[in-house]
Amino acid sequence: MSQVRFALCGLCLLCGLVGAGAIDSSAQTSPASATNSCVACHTTQADQRLANPTRLFAGQDVHRDKGFECVDCHGGSPASSDKASAHDASGRIAAMAFRGKPTGQAVIATCARCHSDAELMRSYAPKQRVDQAMEYATSVHGKQLAAGDARVATCASCHGAHGIRLVSDAKSPVFPTNVAGTCATCHADETHMAGYTLADGSALPTHQFNDYRKSVHYNALTKGNDLSAPTCNDCHGNHGAAPPNVGAVANVCGTCHTVFAQKFATSVHQPIFDKGCVECHTNHAVVKPSDQMLSAAPSGVCQPCHNGDDKTDKGAAAAVAMRGGIERLKDEIDRSATLLAGLKNAGIEVTDQQLALREAGSKLTLARTEMHGFDPLRLLPILADGMKIVAAVDRAAQTGRAELSFRRRGLFLSLGAILIFVVALGLKVRQIDRRDHERRSPSATV
Amino acid sequence: MNVIDWVDQRLDLTEVRHFVAEKGVPVHAQKIWYYLGGMTLFLFGVQVFTGILLLLYYRPSAAEAYESVQFIVTQVQFGWLIRNVHSWSANLLIGLAFAHLFSVFFLKSYRKPRELTWVSGMLLLFLMLGFGFSGYLLPWNELSFFATKVGTGIAGAVPLIGHFSLRLLRGGDDVTGATLSRFYGLHVAILPAIATALVALHLLLVQRQGMSVPPGVEKALKPGARLPQMPFFPNYILRDVLAWYVVIAVLAALAAFYPWELGTKADPFAVVPPGIRPEWYFLAMFHTLKLVPSHVLGIEGERLGVVAFAVAALFLVLVPFLDRRASRGESSRLFTVLAAGGLIYLVTFTIIGHYAK
Repeated sequence: MSQVRFALCGLCLLCGLVGAGAIDSSAQTSPASATNSCVACHTTQADQRLANPTRLFAGQDVHRDKGFECVDCHGGSPASSDKASAHDASGRIAAMAFRGKPTGQAVIATCARCHSDAELMRSYAPKQRVDQAMEYATSVHGKQLAAGDARVATCASCHGAHGIRLVSDAKSPVFPTNVAGTCATCHADETHMAGYTLADGSALPTHQFNDYRKSVHYNALTKGNDLSAPTCNDCHGNHGAAPPNVGAVANVCGTCHTVFAQKFATSVHQPIFDKGCVECHTNHAVVKPSDQMLSAAPSGVCQPCHNGDDKTDKGAAAAVAMRGGIERLKDEIDRSATLLAGLKNAGIEVTDQQLALREAGSKLTLARTEMHGFDPLRLLPILADGMKIVAAVDRAAQTGRAELSFRRRGLFLSLGAILIFVVALGLKVRQIDRRDHERRSPSATV
Repeated sequence: MNVIDWVDQRLDLTEVRHFVAEKGVPVHAQKIWYYLGGMTLFLFGVQVFTGILLLLYYRPSAAEAYESVQFIVTQVQFGWLIRNVHSWSANLLIGLAFAHLFSVFFLKSYRKPRELTWVSGMLLLFLMLGFGFSGYLLPWNELSFFATKVGTGIAGAVPLIGHFSLRLLRGGDDVTGATLSRFYGLHVAILPAIATALVALHLLLVQRQGMSVPPGVEKALKPGARLPQMPFFPNYILRDVLAWYVVIAVLAALAAFYPWELGTKADPFAVVPPGIRPEWYFLAMFHTLKLVPSHVLGIEGERLGVVAFAVAALFLVLVPFLDRRASRGESSRLFTVLAAGGLIYLVTFTIIGHYAK
């Protein structure tokens, strides 16, 4: 009889604990700690390694919010107040077997149990992908783990184990602004990374995080609050994290910089540049590009391959031609903008001209984009269009200057006329006063 | 036969001739302040004249207001001059109105029998501020749009009728094209009608009662002696005209060298640009309200501030009836101190408000 009762109890517990079908809506509403011996016991532990998980899990945790409990990942019997039976690893019912703290592949398996189950995930987060474990297996981390390396990152290394937050939560370690810092926990740690090597056998560097923090991408992400700006996982992937292959770099950058990638794909450099965009822009420390980069002089990035002093170097000549055209248009736009600003300050309406000058600025941007095709001839019509706009603006500005000059001349003439009138009026007033005074004086003496 | 004779034969101008011949202006050391009223009146005339010209091209709708002002300053012959003069003249007018107010306050010219002249003058000052507030929005540019939002928001803090006033001013819960239509109607029809009537009353009272002589000058006179008088026509009026010409010169110089910026068109969905502040004549009030704590003795700070300003305005209107000593011809130092305190407060807070971030 007691065996039947035990089996019934076990069946009920099983329904409430494990498996996709077992986690029903009632689990979401039931208070996790009401009869949970895991929480009751671990909360009182003096050893923080044992107490912290319950504290973190009791705070904000996406799994706890959905009704999951300790037992769902760790196994054991939360209904039992006896330590031995609660931690019974033999598990008279297999699903109830205590698994303790999962490590290595067990972490992946624990998470994948739900996160790779499309049917289960549909009831919690229908739009969430379920291929993370599969992707992970293709990553450097996954491969190393499979090879027996226990130091590599698993799910919990990035997402945390207890107190897990949604990726869209700004406090999540995998929120865009926190990703680089999370990766840097291991990748900037020389001790941790010791022994890892690149494909060429050289030691895996640990300066990527510092480099990235100097980059235009980091600035856009953290200072410009542009969450679409790339961080580590945007180029390396997240679950399938791996360095982009040589030759694939342009594709990686081209994901966002589409037009540049298209221009580069048609350029003479495309078949030559092993590292694509990285050849000129570097990878992690991508600084804001400037026109100075386009030069075969020491200040530019063309120099290692092209020699500015060599008159027969066609590449250097192309750089000079493209840079010269860009600089000329830039100078003309600046000069015209200064002229318009002066006119505007003097009260001449120049809104239309300023708009036109913006169009010239767009041509400049277009020329800088076209430059990635590395063909000076392709820049010529764009630069010529820009110069035409500036010339038209200049003509309008000359009209504005003439108008301003007319206004000022008119003002001086008016002020002169007013001054003459005021003086004449003043003299007239004095004359009238004197006449009145003379008229009053004789009568006063009578 | 000249024109005056021609009119005289038909309308009998004897009374007018008599008035012109007899009207005099007292001559004393403080007579310079008399010109402020005339200069303010002249600028009111400039506003009416330039305002009518602007009306010929201005289109009062959110879609066209900005473009029409842009058209006026770029395409219309001398449109830039008319618009700049209108904007500068409005500011000079309010500045001179304040100067006129304080000169009258310090000289105690409001004392019996000129209480009504003071009250009508005060109401005119409030109307001029109303003109400034409503006219500021009409170009429908970014600064004026957001400043109006803030300004009408302050009106919403008035106890009991706050929400009603806000909706009445805005024509809804927010500043929209409906607000522009209302402000336009207020600026070109309602306020001018009231202002014209009040200006007429103010001038009538001034002509009827003559210029006030400061108490100090009156006391210094020997018993039975009379202050020397200057004929109003032509001696005083010519001086007035001279002052007006100086005002015209200043206006022309300001219009040509410091043109009034049009700015960018208002975009109700844009983020509030930094440095939004009202016109200078509201700065003292605006900055004071900014400094008031959010709650004072459980009352909302802004509401308390608005009530305090309303009480101060009422006090100003009632000054002739409160200053009994001045009415009796006695010295009233308390009101002189109050006027000085008010002037110092206005100047200081306007300057601080201008530089505050």
